[in-house]
Amino acid sequence: MFDNKTLAEAEQLEQQWKAKYGKIVDRFGNQAPSRAWGPKTMSGLPLKNAYFPSDVQDIDYGKIGAPGEYPYTRGNLAAQYQLMHWANQPVIGYGLPEDTRARMDALSGQGMTGYFGQSFYNLLYDLVSHEGLDPDDPAARGRIGQCGMAVYSVADMARLFDGMDLAKMNVVHITDYQVIPALAQYIAYGQRRGVAAKDLRGNTMNYYHQSAFCGMSAFPPEQGHKLAVALIGYCAEHMPSWNTTNFVGYDLEESGGNAVQEAGMLLAYGIELVRSCVEAGVDPTAALSRFGFQIAQGNDFFEEIVKIRALRRIWATTMKERFGVSDPRAMHVRIHTHTSGAMLTAEQPLVNLVRTTLHAFGAALSGVQAMEVAAYDEALAIPTEESATLTLRIQQVIQEETNITAVSDPLAGSYFVENLTEQMAAAALELVDQIEDMGGYIAAQRQGWIRSEIEENAERWRDDVSAGRHGVVGVNCYKTDAAEEPELFTVDEDVERTAIERVKALRAARDGARYDAAMAAFSEAVADFAAAGMADINPDRLMATAIEAAQADATTGEMMAVMKDKLGWDAPYNYGP
Amino acid sequence: MTDVVRVLLAKPTHDGHDRGVRYIARKFRDAGFEVIFTTFLLADEVAAMAIEEDVNVIGISSSSHGHMAIFEDLFVSLKKHGLEDILVIGGGVISGKDQAILKEWGVARVFGPGSASEESVEFIRQQLSP
Repeated sequence: MFDNKTLAEAEQLEQQWKAKYGKIVDRFGNQAPSRAWGPKTMSGLPLKNAYFPSDVQDIDYGKIGAPGEYPYTRGNLAAQYQLMHWANQPVIGYGLPEDTRARMDALSGQGMTGYFGQSFYNLLYDLVSHEGLDPDDPAARGRIGQCGMAVYSVADMARLFDGMDLAKMNVVHITDYQVIPALAQYIAYGQRRGVAAKDLRGNTMNYYHQSAFCGMSAFPPEQGHKLAVALIGYCAEHMPSWNTTNFVGYDLEESGGNAVQEAGMLLAYGIELVRSCVEAGVDPTAALSRFGFQIAQGNDFFEEIVKIRALRRIWATTMKERFGVSDPRAMHVRIHTHTSGAMLTAEQPLVNLVRTTLHAFGAALSGVQAMEVAAYDEALAIPTEESATLTLRIQQVIQEETNITAVSDPLAGSYFVENLTEQMAAAALELVDQIEDMGGYIAAQRQGWIRSEIEENAERWRDDVSAGRHGVVGVNCYKTDAAEEPELFTVDEDVERTAIERVKALRAARDGARYDAAMAAFSEAVADFAAAGMADINPDRLMATAIEAAQADATTGEMMAVMKDKLGWDAPYNYGP
Repeated sequence: MTDVVRVLLAKPTHDGHDRGVRYIARKFRDAGFEVIFTTFLLADEVAAMAIEEDVNVIGISSSSHGHMAIFEDLFVSLKKHGLEDILVIGGGVISGKDQAILKEWGVARVFGPGSASEESVEFIRQQLSP
């Protein structure tokens, strides 16, 4: 990268710096924080105290490249934020569908927009739906409309979306493993409104891979993996504007994983998923072009930035080399950043605004496509409308006032950033090799390896906080006496009663014969699906019977009961060795 | 003090935020406690497991709300089975307002985000000493 003369001069300057640094540390080192010697990133990558040309000399310039050029280290597109800001995508969802709709309309009124000003809604389902239950189940008590919206049927979809132009908006359905019933209900609702599935736009989560590290009950790993492939196969044929799968690195890091693990494990799963798509007869380009990535932005400012730059590069090179794809869209890592919730504190909650601003700023510098900024009261309760608006304002201040959007990938060429990007890529690829040697992501999940790696890292982090090796303001330093709790959001108690009445009324009013026939067909389709190998799955039959069940007013709980019964359902740690 | 501390740590199956409770499980084991971890749908399942495993502590972790219903049901269940002497603690995202009510119901202590594990270990030892 540099000629020999420049390198020699730089080498001399580096030695001079080293000598001076050594003197300072010898004199004051005993009063300084431990960062003076042998600093590391939170993932444990070694850091120097200053970087020089020699640190980037051996990096092939082709690995860095230009914005919008393969291997996309510097961003997916030639123009980053100059023509279009990243999309502001707060997660919304609480109470009855009408409550969520009111919050959607309120945030739209505050300037929440998606790409090219299109309306865009990130909608989160409630805990009852996540568990695949209906609100009248005894285990639903206290959880209806909590942490998400109480939507369980096509009738609830109507309460949520009536009056909106479905073909002109993007809807992200944030489910857990009830993704197929929820998508079937949305498609069925579209049909009732006269909008065909091919015209619907939005995303599904399809992230059964998170059961490798996340706690909720789940389908067995192999069955979940087949379901993921089935949804991708169905959408490749029938829903050209639908983004199928969310690679949920966010939850991986929130569960305790570090940046290297987030990048490496996501790529390992990407390889597994595309390999299975090919086995099931789905074109890898069609599959890859519809993937999205939900990436965490945590506390180690530069490490989190290089994680994104490195992931873009190793994803593109790996997918090109392994699956022969050449369409840029099939090599892009389209990132929705979710700023870290795990790094927020219940102590001095307003300080979280500072943390989330730094997280959002880092994500903006790394060139992500969309963002959700965590609310300052998230460690305490569901965000209030005021705190939700502030998450939007943080993004808007960065977009409008800092001028950082004028330059694409502004950190490129920094000795430090390029060196650390290279280290991050190498460490993540090493992890990929390790997982492939174990037989791939699903095999590593079955062995409980992914869970235990992440659990160990979570423990390491917390031990570091307890020992004061990582400072957390308000927790292990700069503590204050507990202040008054801020005004917290609560869900109206009538929500439970109303949701239960509604589901009972729905069951009483629906056409029983049509429902019975539809559920019998769905049940048979799921049973055959459970028995099928990856190469023999029939995504069209699975989805068509699910959509007909939804049309017949089947609820999420009813459809999930069938799927749990035929596919299996248990706490994920029970799927271990 | 009781010879062996047997703790049942339980998390509602709906709730994916298990980072904290898994950390605590490791720390309790390091402290010499015997730890049983389970997810559950209904409080009755927790009580049944408490009997089966003969525990002297139940810890309920909740980070996604719904905790008031869980604790309410749990105390009904414990009473039904004559298990009122079991020490019940909580952890996770539970507001101060809710904590005050839980205390009245009999939850000995709630360890929120940021609590040090040593604190909960010490608390359990103290509570179980005769």
